[in-house]
Amino acid sequence: MQGLLSVRGLEKHFGGLAAVQKVDLDLQEGVTTALVGPNGAGKTTLFNLITGNIVPDSGTVTVAGAAVTGRRPHEIARLGVARSFQDLRLFGRMTVRDNVLAAIEHGAWFWQPGGGAARRAREAAVESALERTGLSHLAKARAVDLSYAETKFLSVARILATGARIWLLDEPASGLDLNSRNRFVALVREAVAAGVTVCLIEHNLDIVTELADRIAFLDRGAKLAEGEPAAILRDPELIAIYFGERRP
Amino acid sequence: MIAYLLNLATLATVFGILAASLNLLIGYAGIFSMAHAVFFGLGAYAGAQIAMLLVPDVLLACLAAAAVAGLLSLCLALPALRVRGEYFVVASLGLQMVAITVFSEAHAVTGGHGGLVGIPPATLFGLNIGDPGAFLLVCLAVLALVLLGIRVLMRGSFGRSLMAIRDSESAAKAFGKDVPRIKTLAVGLGCALAGVAGALFAFYMAFVNVESFTLEQSVLVMAMVIIGGTATLAGPLIGVLLLLLLPAGLSFLTFIPPTEIGAVQQFIYGLAMTLLMIFRPAGIAGLSTGRR
Ligand SMILES: Nc1ncnc2c1ncn2[C@@H]1O[C@H](COP(=O)(O)OP(=O)(O)O)[C@@H](O)[C@H]1O
Ligand SMILES: [Mg+2]
Repeated sequence: MQGLLSVRGLEKHFGGLAAVQKVDLDLQEGVTTALVGPNGAGKTTLFNLITGNIVPDSGTVTVAGAAVTGRRPHEIARLGVARSFQDLRLFGRMTVRDNVLAAIEHGAWFWQPGGGAARRAREAAVESALERTGLSHLAKARAVDLSYAETKFLSVARILATGARIWLLDEPASGLDLNSRNRFVALVREAVAAGVTVCLIEHNLDIVTELADRIAFLDRGAKLAEGEPAAILRDPELIAIYFGERRP
Repeated sequence: MIAYLLNLATLATVFGILAASLNLLIGYAGIFSMAHAVFFGLGAYAGAQIAMLLVPDVLLACLAAAAVAGLLSLCLALPALRVRGEYFVVASLGLQMVAITVFSEAHAVTGGHGGLVGIPPATLFGLNIGDPGAFLLVCLAVLALVLLGIRVLMRGSFGRSLMAIRDSESAAKAFGKDVPRIKTLAVGLGCALAGVAGALFAFYMAFVNVESFTLEQSVLVMAMVIIGGTATLAGPLIGVLLLLLLPAGLSFLTFIPPTEIGAVQQFIYGLAMTLLMIFRPAGIAGLSTGRR
């Protein structure tokens, strides 16, 4: 069945390197999918292809049945696809509050459409996102002045505020302390319960087990397997690849 | 002495508008244009032509100058959208050089090297505002309006969009921002305001020629913005005061031979910019750097 977000035969080469090869992937509505695979497997590139950051050599991406291949990143974003970046890419010199507010203002003109009501709705969305990510007390701090865990939560707050239906999270929990990690897992669970379709790239297999309904396993640009977490994580061949024991 | 102070104050005000407009590009949008004097010049020529051919009305001349500089800023927006960072700096340098050639050769519009002479004294709604005091007041009023406008815009969504693009263009796109349109708009606005400064400059000098719109001028304005402090309202003004007062101050130091003042000035600018970048990269009025 074609998913809410669907990828067919996606390919991308960088020079001679096949970063993504003939990948099919379906994000079914409400199903949390984890992309797992060793470093350099092409996971981030797959996100970049889906969100229009990079144009694929071939293949298609559809969101809710509409073809988006070749559309520009901001157009795809406005269809309800939000993403985080492995290196976060916060708006460093802006405040925490402005980071989140800027993420939901789409008007390119000198003002935003919708007048006062829309403005109040945006402000409410920002406050709520900051509260849920535990950043309210830092609203006026600049992003560059945050601690590591705080920057991670800010990158989630930006996505949360957008109200996007699809979240693509690129290693959102890497390097988090235990407490922050648990808060993060709870945050994603809340979003999923509220109807968000999540796809996350994650190296920590505990987090994958806690959050994911499905796993897609990538290696050297190709999707080697996809299925229930238990089945994938029990496959000795995949685990060997994952932990770096290369096949001949 | 009064005349001297009025002269300094008027020039500072005009350059204040110019620096504030460049700050929009450098400080808020992260677009390091080395061609700002071109748009200052376009505004000066446009304003002068309106005054000489039509009426010497300041408002009309400023609007025409803004329109001409704003429209031709597409020449700058195009590279700003296509290339980033140091490549854009080079592209804008090229534009600056091309523009100087055009300014020097297009005699019919710019008067060539001789420039445009005999720009009539300014009027406003038929009132003569040609005397230095009145003209300074008009310039101050324009500066106040420009600063107010920039403050309102930069505190609003447009400013947030610009700063978001400055801090991470790919993230801005990923959050639905139409980056080319926002950048084009910022370049257009910044250059239109430079044009306004140019029109006021033309009236004040009653004479304009290409010498005022060279690369040195672009560099001077950029130095004002960077030394004063980017992305702040007061920064560019502080930079203007320092860099305009510096030569005035130096001329009081009688032990420096007049022929050497230029060299001493260059030396001090250069040293100040280098030291600032090391110790206070956000400029004098800028926020201190964060932990990272
Ligand atoms: N813009 C790029 N240009 C050239 N090579 C790239 C680019 N982006 C990624 N790659 C390469 O593509 C491969 C997949 O990278 P990536 O998608 O980042 O892997 P992962 O996120 O799974 O660790 C790597 O070998 C990487 O070096
Ligand atoms: Mg990656």
